[in-house]
Amino acid sequence: MGDATREAEPRVDGKDAQVNQDVLIMEQQRQIEEEISDAIPLVGAKEDLLGTLEKEYISDPIYSMKAKDLSSKYNSIRRTRPDGNCFFRAFAYAYFERLLTCKDDYKGFYDIVSKSKDDLIELGFPQFTLEDFYETFMEVVERIGSGDMTQDELYELFNNQGQSNYIVVYLRLITSGKLQRDADFYLNFIDGNRTMTAFCHQEVEPMFKESDHIHIIALSAALNVGVRVRYMDRGDSAQVIAHDFPEGATPAVHLLYRPGHYDILYEQ
Amino acid sequence: MANIAAQRIKREFKEVIKSEEVAKCAIKVELVSDSYTELKGEIAGPPDTPYEGGNFVLEIKVPETYPFNPPKVRFLTKIWHPNISSVTGAICLDILKDQWAAAMTLRTVLLSLQALLSAAEPDDPQDAVVAKQYKDAPEMFRLTARHWTAAYAGGPYSNPEFDSKIRRLTDMGIESHDARVALSSFNWDLERATEQLFS
Repeated sequence: MGDATREAEPRVDGKDAQVNQDVLIMEQQRQIEEEISDAIPLVGAKEDLLGTLEKEYISDPIYSMKAKDLSSKYNSIRRTRPDGNCFFRAFAYAYFERLLTCKDDYKGFYDIVSKSKDDLIELGFPQFTLEDFYETFMEVVERIGSGDMTQDELYELFNNQGQSNYIVVYLRLITSGKLQRDADFYLNFIDGNRTMTAFCHQEVEPMFKESDHIHIIALSAALNVGVRVRYMDRGDSAQVIAHDFPEGATPAVHLLYRPGHYDILYEQ
Repeated sequence: MANIAAQRIKREFKEVIKSEEVAKCAIKVELVSDSYTELKGEIAGPPDTPYEGGNFVLEIKVPETYPFNPPKVRFLTKIWHPNISSVTGAICLDILKDQWAAAMTLRTVLLSLQALLSAAEPDDPQDAVVAKQYKDAPEMFRLTARHWTAAYAGGPYSNPEFDSKIRRLTDMGIESHDARVALSSFNWDLERATEQLFS
């Protein structure tokens, strides 16, 4: 019984025990989350790829072999916190970092994101909160465009939990908007009898929900930013397989996927 | 409290108090502390439900990680509903758990709770006793919920038969709330309620 003063009630089937179980599970989850957030920054420093992965997989021949393969194409890695937001955070950091130096891509990106808000409002997202996330997001984008942002400042900004999460939220909303707008197409990729709106409410819009292929396809298509994901798993191939999103696009962002998690990769 | 959470709640607070639902007296939010970490919400029982005419008070606690995590909300007003604990006021609602999204607001929460009062989900219960009654004896459920609304939320429909059964038990020294819980749980069977209370 959860509530000692109510021992006498005819609680026929342990409802309160059930409630307490839920509370305990949520508390334990929170504890685990805290341990992770104490140990791993939202976005880490750039590390030498081969050095760090060889150390990690010293007693693992398959992964060691794949680390070598990966190091023939990439020289550094930047880790992100495994909090369920890693794809969105890694994507945003990698692309914003690229925009710091690659001015050619900026204009097109700016045009797309600056009209994203109206598209989302049209789809029925609440204007009040949407504006909040949009403004924070655009403030960062505009600072990058005006040259008023250094690498260090970007790093600091992404490790400020509030700002960093605001950017993640906005990307989740853009992803949800794209999925709902092109629901006819994307419905082919989800299982069960869910509507696209229900899928977005359950799997896209809530923070800390992990991303799947469908999230990556939708976001990369919505922003017209190519993403190459390198898959590092237990498969036999000596190579680390690449997938490009959307198919055939020139990748502007390179990510390393290891089961359940995305980090950022830097090409040679 | 983290700055983002406080700023966001301040803005939301303004949004709610000028919303049209407030103008229609359907929802209300008040500050409990100056720090914006705790608020008091109120929702009006929706028309054509057993909660009609009642006013339900909610405890709203805003976590430091708001709006990335949901507010913690429970009913302070006692209520008879399958998705709300009649003991603790704890609520079973997806958007207060894993389907919370940062784009939602206090207003969304209050309106969703109001919708929950109109459309219970007995297959995902918080209070199994209530949920069972809701499914097995819908008319009994409706009368019981309406009686609770009158007893605790200022609802207009008192039920003389229920009141007299409660009086029978309070005359024996039982607290009226305990009497009401026991009777409600046993479909107002006075004998079984008495047995349970004195067992």
